[in-house]
Amino acid sequence: MDKTPISRGFRSTRQEQTPKNRVPPGQYVTTGFPVLSAGPTPRIEPEGWTLALQFDGSLLGKWSWAELEALPQTTIKTDIHCVTKWSKLDTTWHGVTIDDLLKAVGLTEPAAPYIMAHCEGAYTTNIPVADLVGGKGMIATRYEGLPIPPEHGGPARLLVPHLYFWKSGKWVRRLRFMKNDERGFWESMGYHNYGDPWKEQRYDGDGD
Amino acid sequence: MTDNGSDLVLDGNAAAGLLQEIFASDITTAQIECEACSSVGAVGSLRLYAAPMGAVLRCKQCDGILLRAVHTPHGRWLEMTGARHLRF
Amino acid sequence: MTVTVTETAVPHAGRLEWQLAEVCEIVVETYRVKSLLLRVRNWHGHQPGQHVDIRLTAEDGYQAQRSYSIASPPEDELLTLTVEQVENGEVSQYLVGDVRVGDRFELRGPVGGYFIWTTAMGGPLALIAGGSGIVPLMAMLRHRDRVNGRPSASLLYSSRSLEHVIYREELDAMARRDSDLRVVNTLTRKQPKGWMGHRRRIDKAMLVEACFPPVQNPKIFVCGPTPFVEDVSRLLVELGYNPLTIKTERFGPSGG
Repeated sequence: MDKTPISRGFRSTRQEQTPKNRVPPGQYVTTGFPVLSAGPTPRIEPEGWTLALQFDGSLLGKWSWAELEALPQTTIKTDIHCVTKWSKLDTTWHGVTIDDLLKAVGLTEPAAPYIMAHCEGAYTTNIPVADLVGGKGMIATRYEGLPIPPEHGGPARLLVPHLYFWKSGKWVRRLRFMKNDERGFWESMGYHNYGDPWKEQRYDGDGD
Repeated sequence: MTDNGSDLVLDGNAAAGLLQEIFASDITTAQIECEACSSVGAVGSLRLYAAPMGAVLRCKQCDGILLRAVHTPHGRWLEMTGARHLRF
Repeated sequence: MTVTVTETAVPHAGRLEWQLAEVCEIVVETYRVKSLLLRVRNWHGHQPGQHVDIRLTAEDGYQAQRSYSIASPPEDELLTLTVEQVENGEVSQYLVGDVRVGDRFELRGPVGGYFIWTTAMGGPLALIAGGSGIVPLMAMLRHRDRVNGRPSASLLYSSRSLEHVIYREELDAMARRDSDLRVVNTLTRKQPKGWMGHRRRIDKAMLVEACFPPVQNPKIFVCGPTPFVEDVSRLLVELGYNPLTIKTERFGPSGG
């Protein structure tokens, strides 16, 4: 990297006193909740909303809003890390874990090793199923006890907090099992295919 | 970045710096045709999203993605499959 | 998809390089807004309406990058950026609160050939500004002011209160000495005693009063926060202006 000139006296206002082991390298803690979207915020009424689970062109399961709400609900408190360098600690989310979703369609084992999450606005993101099960991922419907605001992905978003937050696709509508990995929206545009914040895997070519 | 969703969209002109890195010229005045709905407009007048991660330029008529650009430490990426042509 | 290049639209639009800008002078515009007059060594000029990208680097390596519209006309020797300090804005906080004469930071530009106006493009010119959206439009007005035989122009400027009006004295003076320039202010939240001007958000009636009618086919530039720009653009189209003659620059979330 070139030596870039230091701007006298400039420092990030995001810096806070936090235990180092909670903040991945290169991240700065924020008290706000910045919004970043690849397209216009859709206005989705829960009444018309559905979530589909697919494999190889066939539908494994489909849930209406009421049906999703009727599944076992889980609340978690977790930290989230955006690739644009902000981290937010102790965020509370509520929804249905991917484990419970798979259980609901009678899948004792994932149908394939990878999942592509399809979201509104042609947004996609790919995740190994191993990173979604075992409590690692959920379809979130509440943030801090309230319905997720539209700009933050409401009515429902994918939540995979141990990976960079672009993987937690807002406005998720469809999860598609894939036999082979395919790159999603950002992953096919230079961002890292996996996205582990603790290894600072922001871009394709960053440390493995 | 913002804490409020309604401010998110910018104009394509705001992506001029990133695009000029890639094209080595200013393309904001170029006319771009949407592959999906055939509408034509200046690149600078498109709706720009996702600015902190890259540039996602969408059609003003149909919201289809016309152009995506990302600057990474390992190189620059450009994707324009949603555009039928670009005319300078 | 085919790409055909026949000419470049803007001169000096080659590969952009980061270079150092040095702060030569600081002007307090309002209680939250300052202008920084910069010397940039390899500056090749710009067109009114263009912006620059600036990049700040902290000692720990943290970097932040933002875009700011150029406030000065190309006729000026120094480059002026006018920055509004926004709440929780780490970059604007630094530029307005901490920067001193002699400080240097990285700058790249000029950028953006779409949202520009020069007198050669003709008029009449209709400018509509919301808050700090006045900055690129001021570059256009300052440029126009330097040129003889200038096209007629109007500025409709919406601010929260009189204290928020940037370049107030300069705009008043410009309008007083130039019968072909019309400046209309509206103060939307607070007005001083005896204020005879508008007190409400821009609506169709105000646009009809302040701007050249569609039949005169003005070149229209709208700049300000995204919701402001979208409202005004919609009203202009409803009033019959050709959308192709309306250029917008959304400031979005003010960068910070």
